[in-house]
This record gives sequence, structure tokens and C-alpha cells, in this order.
Amino acid sequence: MLQIQHLRKVYPNGVVALNDVSFKVKDGAFLAIIGLSGSGKSTLLRCINRLIEPTSGKIIWGDIDITAAKGKEILKIRRQIGMVFQQFNLVKRSSVYTNILSGRLGYVETLPSLLHLFSKKDHDKAIRTLKQMDLLEKAHVRADSLSGGQQQRVGIARALMQDPKLILADEPVASLDPVLAHSILKYLERLNKENGITVLCSLHFLDLVHRYATSAIALKDGNVVFEGLPKQIDDKQFKAIYGQEAEKISIV
Amino acid sequence: MRKEKNKNYLYPISLSSILIPGLGQVLQKKQSRGIVIFFSTIILLLLIIWALNNYGISKITIGDIETSWLLIPFTLFWIWNAIDSVLIGKNKNAGLFLGVFCAFTILFVIGWHVTEVKPDLLLNKIGDARVVVTKILNPDFFSIEKNGKTEICSWNCLWTNFRDKLYGKPIQNIQFSKNPGDIFGRIQTVNSIGDPIKPTFFVGKLIETIAIGLMATLFSIIIAIPLSFLGAKNIMSRLPGGNNIYFFMRTIFNLGRAVDTVVWGIFVVVWVGLGSFAGVIALTIHSAAALAKLFSEEIEHIDPGPVEAITASGANTIQVIRYGVIPQIIPPFLSYTLLRWDINMRSATVVGFVAGGGIGYFVLETIRVGAYQQYAAALWSIAAVIMIVDNISTRMRENIILDKPKPPKRGGSLGFLKPFLFIVIGLAIFVSCWNITKIDLKDLLQPGPTFIQILKDFSNIDLSISTVELISKQMIITILQAMLATFLGAIFAIPASFFVAKTLTGKSRVLSWLFYLSRSIFNFLRSIEALLYVAIFVYWVGIGPFAGMLALAITTFALLGKMFSEAIENIDSGPIEAVNATGASKIQMIIYSIIPQIVPSFTSYLVYQWDINIRMATIIGFAGGGGIGLTLSTFFGSLQYHKAGTVVVFIVLVVALMDYASAKIREAMI
Repeated sequence: MLQIQHLRKVYPNGVVALNDVSFKVKDGAFLAIIGLSGSGKSTLLRCINRLIEPTSGKIIWGDIDITAAKGKEILKIRRQIGMVFQQFNLVKRSSVYTNILSGRLGYVETLPSLLHLFSKKDHDKAIRTLKQMDLLEKAHVRADSLSGGQQQRVGIARALMQDPKLILADEPVASLDPVLAHSILKYLERLNKENGITVLCSLHFLDLVHRYATSAIALKDGNVVFEGLPKQIDDKQFKAIYGQEAEKISIV
Repeated sequence: MRKEKNKNYLYPISLSSILIPGLGQVLQKKQSRGIVIFFSTIILLLLIIWALNNYGISKITIGDIETSWLLIPFTLFWIWNAIDSVLIGKNKNAGLFLGVFCAFTILFVIGWHVTEVKPDLLLNKIGDARVVVTKILNPDFFSIEKNGKTEICSWNCLWTNFRDKLYGKPIQNIQFSKNPGDIFGRIQTVNSIGDPIKPTFFVGKLIETIAIGLMATLFSIIIAIPLSFLGAKNIMSRLPGGNNIYFFMRTIFNLGRAVDTVVWGIFVVVWVGLGSFAGVIALTIHSAAALAKLFSEEIEHIDPGPVEAITASGANTIQVIRYGVIPQIIPPFLSYTLLRWDINMRSATVVGFVAGGGIGYFVLETIRVGAYQQYAAALWSIAAVIMIVDNISTRMRENIILDKPKPPKRGGSLGFLKPFLFIVIGLAIFVSCWNITKIDLKDLLQPGPTFIQILKDFSNIDLSISTVELISKQMIITILQAMLATFLGAIFAIPASFFVAKTLTGKSRVLSWLFYLSRSIFNFLRSIEALLYVAIFVYWVGIGPFAGMLALAITTFALLGKMFSEAIENIDSGPIEAVNATGASKIQMIIYSIIPQIVPSFTSYLVYQWDINIRMATIIGFAGGGGIGLTLSTFFGSLQYHKAGTVVVFIVLVVALMDYASAKIREAMI
């Protein structure tokens, strides 16, 4: 169980990104986070792995108080939480294989990792993950020579290397073609259903939310304006989240 | 709303600029414009008074009052500022032309006088110049035996002999002179006293220069890479107390950069003594600071995405740097290193002026004895080496910047030997350079007693009014000298750059020949440092700021010509097509579609060049070019370290200020 309690984030320039956010996520859920750009989705996800320091509030994950963690504890928490990004955030000049191995960094000693020395176990794991994400034949090419969909699969593979119990996906399909969007979300869905990894995923398109998510929350101006099942988001809810001007659009 | 409000205050606020220039602009939210106008006004007025009192520049007498006619453009400047302020109240502005024109008129008139520009000298002493130019065009590479005497055999003589050989006539015996041996190296069988020794290779001065440049580049990378991480804001903000280290490092970088290699040279010589080693250290200090600054800026500009992703996976800061930062910065680091190698080679040719090693020292010696044909041979050889270095460096940088993914390596049968081969060659070059430059680390740890004296004197620099006045005077001359050189160079570079722009020369054979000819001339002129040109002009117009200004103008011409022509080549072809489609002639096309596009980049290059020229002008005096460099070398030569320290402080301040101002102006341009 992941519990977010009265989470608030005010940036140094005075912008209130999260006002007072509270919600709960059951283990094994696929939670979709929706809302307009600037509604606080990215800030919320980054507070959960402490890439961004929340101003106040609490994040409790199982028996761990994430917000209270200090120094090395944060690194220990982060390595159990995979993250997938809109812009993939791969090291473009490194090979796919190196990118994937970098997901193990939280588990290995600093000195050997500086010399690119990883254990046999880690190498085996990398090969297995590559197979799982259908990337085996691309292992030794540079990351920037892959297509967008392939790069996002590398991004997911890197997160998988962490043996995550939770995956935070920040608009994972916003930079991809609609067809590829389904392909990527199916990979996430499989991890969620088969491996039991909890997924928190911010999404733009409502039909993707309906298709993949098991529960949903909506943010508006840093506040939770909806919490419930995806199918409960009707036209009225939709207008409340996205504003009166909004029109539903669907993707293939 | 806001407009209404403004109207009520319009006149009092706008007209406040009549009382205090720039005030109206500041009050109307154009702060930077107002501040620039305010300080320009003060500086111009002070300059006019200074010029009148010290040199009697532009003195006119009205009745009993002596005054300066430069107050006329000054008044115009003031009026322009008031008009500008009023127009800003109406959401317009007065345009920059009149203000800039008035300011530069004042600067030019004063600059012309203090730089002792005497165009008549150029014509009156054309005879002397012709002698020098003839000698320079006929360098001493070969010699010939004539009537038992050895004579220099240059192009003309070589050609005559070559023709004779073609026709089968008997030819005289042509040999390498002693001079190319001094430059490139020779095998010697006797030592300096004349005793026979076994054949030994003596390294020439140019080879020594190449070694100095290589070693300095290597050392500066080794120093700059770790320091650059300490000077990168995005890395340091991750660490406790990192921001203080960041500011400290950036200050050190800027100090090291602001002082020219040649100036560093005079310190280092006191420390380790004359020789190539001093040259290596001086170059390393300047180059490490410059590289570290560029490197840390590159680190700051990396894509933060991968860094965030790797941080999110639970990696610690060191691992984040290794996996998220380093792979990203390798191409820009390599590219800047190559650029720096190119620059270091150029600086290595002049560092010998003070440090005593390399070709610079050789040039200084030849000039001292008036051996212009030997001097010329050095110039030609330097140009050849620098053009080769420039070419290699540019090509390699182009490849690095493209940064194409390589196809997966195929392990050829001997492929594994390649890295070994590189290591062996690299080590061989390193060891021979180490020996050539006579690097002796013991010297580093034993600074001469004078060096301690310098450090003592520098902590207690002379700030008495008379010293400061003298130094300010030379500093103003240096700044104005640089300004005149920039303009003189630009006046010639602008028309020339149109010939050198590939896009404009078109397909006509004559024009494309002209293109190659002018581009080669640019490259040739560019490859020789201004300091090496000074000798020619000192011979022509005499020692002083005028000679320095002309030498600077030559390099400015070549550098601006290159940058301008590249700017012309890089313009958007759309508007050209559009204007051509209307049936316009070539001249019309240039006026209506090219000029409007290139004005901003040309102006920004001009400002940049002025900045570079001020740096160069601070050292041009070492070779007789006047200005602050002459003052510095005089103070150093006469062991007045208290005063030399003051000069260095002034140079650092002015160079840093100009650097900042030029960066700001260029930002505003683009």
C-alpha cells in the first residue's frame, strides 16, 4: 500500500505545484494519473522517489516512511522504484546494453561500477531483460540509433533491472506514435499483471486510461479532483478535470 | 491601464533624461538601456577632459576659454538620449545609430591621437617598407656558392636554376642554408666550440615550438578535467557546500584566462628560468583555465534527462557522473581539446618572446640583428605548420561534432593491435616532447629567490596616484588601439569576405580562382600571431602604438574575413531565392537579401574581435607595439614589481570587464 498524505510542494519561485494531495494506491494496482500539463503530475511522481523534495506531507510505502528517509536510505528506496520517462532519458551515446546495466547501479559497489565491472548475475539478468523486452539483437548498438518505441522499451528494461516493486511512469507514451503507445502500455500492463509490480502512470488520453488502468486519480492545479475507477470518469467529470472547453479525443 | 498611467507622468519622467542621462529610460523600465547610457555619458565626458588635459586633443579657443570641439558630438549624444527617453514614453525608441555614431566619433578622434596614427608615415617610408617586404617575400631557406661567397638563394634564384636544369644548362650547387637548420633541426658533427662529436640531431626551434604546444595541451587537459567538475553548477549543487566551491573555481578560471600566456610567461621565467619549460608552464596555466571554463560549461549544458533517470535508479553521485554525465561530455571535451591544441600551437609561437623557448625566441633574435630574410623563413615555416594544425584540428572536430553512431566493430585479424600501436606512438611522442622541452620537475619545486620577491611585492602593489595615472593612460591607449585595429581590419574584411563566401562566388571560373586565392591569403595571414607581425611595422612606422595597431589590424582582417565569409555562407537561402525570383540583379540581391541577414552576426563578431584585440593589445607592447604591454615589460625589466603588479591587476580587471560586456552585447544581438 502506497499512501500519500497531505503532500505539498512549493517551488522556490513560489509556484505551488502540489497543494494538498492525499490518496492511496493498493499493491498491484495500475493507477492512472490524469490532468492538464502543469497540474502537478510530474512533481507528484518525482516526490514519490524523492527526486524532488516535498515541502510538507507524508509518503508511506508499506512500512517505509519515504519522506523521512535520509542519505543512503533514499538510494535504497529509489532502487526499488523504477522510473520511466516521457523523453526516455537514455544516455544517447552509450550502448543499449550499458544503458540497461545502469539500472543495477543502486545494487553494486561504487568502485567496480566505475570500471564498468558487473557480476555474472547482473549480466545474465541484463540478457534476460533484453529478451523480455524483445531487444536482444539491439544490445550493442548506440541508444540514439533506435526508434522512439524501441528507446522507450530500453527505458522500461532499465527500470526492470532494478527489480522494482513499483514503477513510476511519467507520460511514457506522450512522445510516441499512437500505435506505439499501445505497444508500450501493453508491456507495462504485462509487468503489472504477471509480475505484480504496482504501476503509477501519468497519461494524457482518456481511452488509454479506460483500456489499461485499474484505478485513476485526476489532478487540477495541484489538488486531487477525482479518485476512483477509470470507468467512473464521465463527461461531467471530464469537463471538471480538463475545463469546459475540452473535447474528448481518442487514439487508435 | 498601464498606458493611461504612463501618459500622466510622460513628460516629467521622459524629460528627466535631460538632467541625468539614462534616468528617463530607467524610470520607464528600460533599466539596462538606461544604465548603459548613463555610464557611456560619464566615460565619454571623462575621456574628453582627459584627452584635452593630457594631449590637448581637439582643443579650440573661444574667446579666453579653451575647450574641446568633441563636446559637440557629446552634446548630440546627450540630446539623442533625451529624444530616446521621450520616444520610449510613446512606446518607440530613437534607434541606436545616432547615439553609437556620436560615441564612436569621440572614441575615434581620441584613439587616432593617442595611438599616434600617422598615415603619412605609411607613404613617406614606403621605401623602407619595400625593402622589408622584399626580404620577407624572399625567405632564407637555400643558399648558393657564388664567387667563393655563400649567398641566399630564394624563389627567384631557385626558379632560374630550375629553368636552367630543364634546359640542361649547368647549374650551381644549391644547398640548405644554416637558417632552416635552426628552424627545423640539423645533424651536427661538431659542437659549438668546434670540437668534433659523433653525429647528433639538434632539434630546431619550430620543432621545439610544436613540442611546447603538445605538452601544454596534454597538461592542461589533465588539470582541466577534474577542475571542470568542481566548476559545474549542476554537479556542485548536488554536494554540500558545493556552491562555494563552484564560485571559487569559476573565479580562478577567469583569472587564469584573463592574463595572457605571454604575461604568464614573465612570471614563470622568474620561477623556473628561461627556456622551453617556462613556455610549457605559461601555456599550461592559461590553457588549463580556459579549457576548464569551457569544460564546466559543457557539463552544465548536458541533457539532464539521463542524469535524472540514473539518479532515480538509486545510483550515488559518483555513479551518476560516471554513467550519466561522462558519456555525454566526451565529444564536446574532445572537440574543445582539439581547438585548444590549435590555439596553443599559435601561442607557442610567441611565448618565446618572454619565456625564451621555441620559435618566438628565434624571431626575437633575428629581428634584433635585422636579419629579415631569416625572420621571413621563420614566418613562412610557422604559417605552414599552423595551417596544417588548423586543418587537422578542424577536420577532426567536424567528425566529432557529427558524432555518428559507428557500425559495430568487426574484429579484423590485426584489429587488436591498433590500440597498442596508438599507445606506443603516443608514448614515443610524449617522451620525445618531454626531452625537447627540457621539462624538469625539480625546477618547479625550487622557485628562484626573485620569485619570492615578486610574490611579496605583488601582495603590496603600488596604488599611488602617479602610478595609477600612468597605467590608466596606457590602458586607455591599449583599449583604443584595439578599437582602431578592429575597425581598420573590418573595413578591409567586409568587402573581401564577399569574395571568399562560397555561396556568392558561384560557378564562374575566374571568381572561383579568386575564392581560392583570397581564402588562402586569409588562412596564411591568420596563421601568424599579431606579435610576430609587429617587427615589420616597427621597421616601417617606428616603435609605438601605431605599429602595434597595424599588426593587430592584419590579424583582425584575416580573422574577421574568415568569420564574415562563414556568416555569409550560413545565411538562409530562402530570402535570396525570393529576391532572385523578382528578377533582381546580383548587387540588388546582396543589398536586399544578404545584408539584412548578416548585420547582426557581423556586429556580434566585431564586438567579439574588439574583445580579443584588447587581450592581444595588452601584449603587443612586448614587441615594440606600445600600450600597456610596453609598460609592463619596462616595469618588469627594471625590477619594479610593485608597479608591475598594479599593471597586472589593471589588465585582469579590464579584460574581465570587456569579456563580460562583450558577452552581454553579443547575447543581446542574437
